[in-house]
Amino acid sequence: MVGNSALQRTKGQVWQRGFANLFGKENRAWWGTRRWAVQTVLWAVVVNGMLAFIMFGVPVLLQQTSPAEAETFDAVVQGVQALFQLGTVALALGAILIAQDQILGERQSGVTEWILSKPVSRDAYILSKLAADAIGVVVVLVGVQSAIAYGLITLANGTPLPLAPFLVGAGGLALHTLFYLSLTLMMGVLANGRSTLLGVPLGVLFGGMLAANFIGKAALLTPWSLAAVLPATVLQLPLPLPAALPLAVTAALTVVAIAVTLRKFRQLEF
Amino acid sequence: MTQRDRAVIQASNLGKAYGDVQALKSLDLRVPEHSIFGFLGPNGAGKTTTMKLLLGLIRPTSGSSTIFGQDTVRDSLAIRSRIGYLPQQPHFYPDMTARETLRFTARFFFTGSAPEIEARVDEMIALVGLQDKADRTVRGFSGGERQRLGLAQAQINDPDLLILDEPAAALDPIGRLDVLKVMERLRERTTIFYSTHILDDVQQVSDTVAILNHGELVAQGPIEQLLSGGDSPMYSLSLRGDGEAAQARIADLPWVAGVDVARHNGTTAWQVSVTDEATAEAQLLRQVLADEHVTVLEFSRKRYELEEVFVNIIQGDDHGRQ
Repeated sequence: MVGNSALQRTKGQVWQRGFANLFGKENRAWWGTRRWAVQTVLWAVVVNGMLAFIMFGVPVLLQQTSPAEAETFDAVVQGVQALFQLGTVALALGAILIAQDQILGERQSGVTEWILSKPVSRDAYILSKLAADAIGVVVVLVGVQSAIAYGLITLANGTPLPLAPFLVGAGGLALHTLFYLSLTLMMGVLANGRSTLLGVPLGVLFGGMLAANFIGKAALLTPWSLAAVLPATVLQLPLPLPAALPLAVTAALTVVAIAVTLRKFRQLEF
Repeated sequence: MTQRDRAVIQASNLGKAYGDVQALKSLDLRVPEHSIFGFLGPNGAGKTTTMKLLLGLIRPTSGSSTIFGQDTVRDSLAIRSRIGYLPQQPHFYPDMTARETLRFTARFFFTGSAPEIEARVDEMIALVGLQDKADRTVRGFSGGERQRLGLAQAQINDPDLLILDEPAAALDPIGRLDVLKVMERLRERTTIFYSTHILDDVQQVSDTVAILNHGELVAQGPIEQLLSGGDSPMYSLSLRGDGEAAQARIADLPWVAGVDVARHNGTTAWQVSVTDEATAEAQLLRQVLADEHVTVLEFSRKRYELEEVFVNIIQGDDHGRQ
């Protein structure tokens, strides 16, 4: 009987009831399975494969096809720009794909109903997924890929780039990726179908990039400007506005997405 | 205060509407402590809605309910730490094994060393007979195995209240019997509130039942009371001889509501419905025996089958609505 055993009833603040258990389960899904390895290899191929091709493959091709262009081709500048311009889009897509099934899938299968019949706060349910995925995404998609990229850029450059600007760039990349992770989790609560769930973050990602062309300097404040702001920061090029501004806006939008997710999930019925 | 007096669940005017659809209308419910409370009703009657309201999975649009004296909306988290719940169609993480699922569930309720948790998990696996499937992933489980796992996870916290939505629905006859045995065994230390369509099971184990129809409570009470006809008891007599005069005389008695007669192989069967149970018990047999033309072969108070009671109540309620 439980009453006679050494088992102790769990206690804790209302909002965090069940968090540790759910967070542990979500972390095991990242680090206790092959997910981390698969994601690491996948994004190494996509992000750093592309970077390596631009820095080491393109100069060789240019030497053979257009030696004049090869003379002016700056592999490091091109590599950094590609890393942050294409990296923001690629890793945002990665975050969207990783988060798409986290909430809606469990809601539709009935697992959420089962979990919430236990002493689990609704905030803990959302925050455990957000925290575990944020760690996974930041470490595997951004941290590991940025470290590999830094190594490749150093190899191409002969000497390491200044570390601090590169870390700001990587931090911005992480923030941008977390914004799309939060947005997709939010849609997991708001949407009832996969097409809406995927359509909104993909629309924000690609539609926003297009819309940024039409809103003039205001675009420099949005997350979509990070694709241009981050490489300029890493390369220490002049910027019309401080890089901190779009970073702050992206952080604020991420917080808003999380707040909406928590609020709407508290109102959901199962 | 006796256990019968203490209510574990109490609902007052509890209602739930989805737009214009009233899924549950003004439910007043009282589930006594340590009872096995059968919650009956046709599909769509509002049984699952009631259970979800009690668990805080949905919010009421009217009325309120308490469990252990605590409000089911405001104190839902505290209530859920003392409850075990089996959904109608239990769904778990498909990649977890049965053992992992139970371990995961236990961690919502208990802290403690891994061996202690493991011992509790093993106990539950044995309780529902899943020893040979314990380390298989839930993905490959049949409906019955999933149901057994559902029962195990519902009991992992040694709950003070078990809420079971159709606990035997997906089980074979042996599995069903096992569930009934488990419920009987748990009666001593917990209260069980369960819905089912299998009325035989209810008759076997329940001590109290409530019947819901179209979102409204149409009957509630101890099962013995329902099976004995409630407020309109009936007596069965088997007679030999010419009973026509006796029948007319009995039908005229002020506490007799009616006499139905059926003849079969030289005997006559009477079904006498009465309005005054005490007088009928004291007088009915004596009144019949007073007629020297009849011989009474059998006399008993008619005991209904739950199915009969259920169908009568639901059909009566449905006709009343037309």
